[in-house]
Amino acid sequence: MSALLEIRGLSVAYGGIGALEDVDLEVGAGEVVSLIGANGAGKTTLLRTISRLLRQRSGTIVYDGDDITRAAPFEVVRRGIAHSPEGRRMLARLTVLDNLRLGAYTRRDGAAVAEDLEQQFQRFPRLSDRRGQSAGTLSGGEQQMLAIARALMSRPRLLLLDEPSLGLAPRLVREIFDIVDELHAAGVTILLVEQNAKLALSHADRGYVLEAGRITLSGPADDLVADDRVRRAYLG
Amino acid sequence: MLLQQLVNGLAIGSVYAIFALGYTLVFSILRVINFAHGAVFTLGAYFTYLLIGARIGFNGLLAQSALPFGLPFWVAAVLGALLAGLVGVVIERLAFRPLRRRGADPLLTLVSSLGVAVALVNAIQYLVGAENYTYPPGALFGLPPAIDIGATGSPLPIRTTQIVIFAVSMVLVVLLTLFVNRTRTGKALRAVSEDADTARLLGIDVDRLILLTFFVSGVLGGFAGTLVGLSVSIAGPYFGIAFGLKGLAVIVLGGLGDIPGAVVGGLLIGVAESLVPSDVIAYRDAIAFVVLFVILLARPQGLLGRAAVQKV
Repeated sequence: MSALLEIRGLSVAYGGIGALEDVDLEVGAGEVVSLIGANGAGKTTLLRTISRLLRQRSGTIVYDGDDITRAAPFEVVRRGIAHSPEGRRMLARLTVLDNLRLGAYTRRDGAAVAEDLEQQFQRFPRLSDRRGQSAGTLSGGEQQMLAIARALMSRPRLLLLDEPSLGLAPRLVREIFDIVDELHAAGVTILLVEQNAKLALSHADRGYVLEAGRITLSGPADDLVADDRVRRAYLG
Repeated sequence: MLLQQLVNGLAIGSVYAIFALGYTLVFSILRVINFAHGAVFTLGAYFTYLLIGARIGFNGLLAQSALPFGLPFWVAAVLGALLAGLVGVVIERLAFRPLRRRGADPLLTLVSSLGVAVALVNAIQYLVGAENYTYPPGALFGLPPAIDIGATGSPLPIRTTQIVIFAVSMVLVVLLTLFVNRTRTGKALRAVSEDADTARLLGIDVDRLILLTFFVSGVLGGFAGTLVGLSVSIAGPYFGIAFGLKGLAVIVLGGLGDIPGAVVGGLLIGVAESLVPSDVIAYRDAIAFVVLFVILLARPQGLLGRAAVQKV
């Protein structure tokens, strides 16, 4: 198993909360890796640093053999990293269709983009019904689906998923995680950030525990679920 | 008489509109007013003046000089606008981007753009003096200076220039609207305007789009300058500054950052001004701002602005 994403000694200063300190993390090609931790532990900071929205103080991020530590955000998208951000971040005034098309902004293969668009609509029939509506009118669950579908429109090799279950009803959460499994089976590599540790670990190959900006535990997801410290702190 | 004034008002109002669209584009992306826009407007008018091969007056460093060639008016106007667009690009690189990179407060950026405006106006005065310039007659392909749309016995001449200015401005408005709403780049611009970080996550090169926005804004401003110069004259290096204030009134009236709002606001202020009786013409600008004041009391978000959005 070769690492698609390899993070070494990453530190990010972020005014206290959400800062990262000397983080090492690897995601192998085809893996689903969950990053769990409390609110403010730095999970979102880590994803935003991989996407280059934030700059690190030190450390390296290597993706697919290339150092992307100095890249611009649009460059990492072109290289195949897609990020479905926390809070969904809809382009509320644009339509569902426009949101999805902008997801494919970096692509030039129009015909394949049209195919992928159809695929997203099959995967998320509710988005298909609302394709002409502005994204701001969608419900929370629909917005989460749109955020994921939009990220998939770039045909990513690595998908960064930030808190996909946040604020959703249990039925919708199951639906979202069915999609995670489906993408996993299709060979998409996923780095998943979740507060719901049980859910995150049950759909992952491996996991990391982030506490106050440091990785304190890591290992196969099954081992983490069985670990006493994880059980006490996150699985209650 | 009323119809004549109305046409005049629509003509100047349509120029207010395209000028204000230049402000609006930059504002909708960066949430900051580019005060140098008025100076770019002035530059556009001077560029056109030079490109048609007209001679500089007796003052300034370039006194009595002229280009060795003269272009047809509309070619010069388009080229002048494009040059104004390039000036916009330089302004973004020098006065906006460095501050943005350091995460400066938008207020500081506003001051820095004001500095650019002062520098540009002074540079113009240094180069070509402060006198009034007019485009030579015949700029409109020898169209008659006025057409009569009245009945026999009651002539109603409308200046051809006004009709041309209105038509050209409206074409620009339509082109800009199509660009923003229909093209891939235009949609990317709207994405940046809504949420720059999300746009980045979609693979949009935000800095490049900001540069493009300044270019388009400069083109619109520069073209507006030429049109006003054509309608009246180039009233010295400062003529863009007063126009710039009027443009601010237009975008505030229409709703900050809103394209249809800028167009409606521009036409409204133009028409309101044109209806000012000629014996109180000295108060024309005051009346424009009174209109603005009254409308804002009723609708603080502007005519077409959205009430209390997450922005601004």
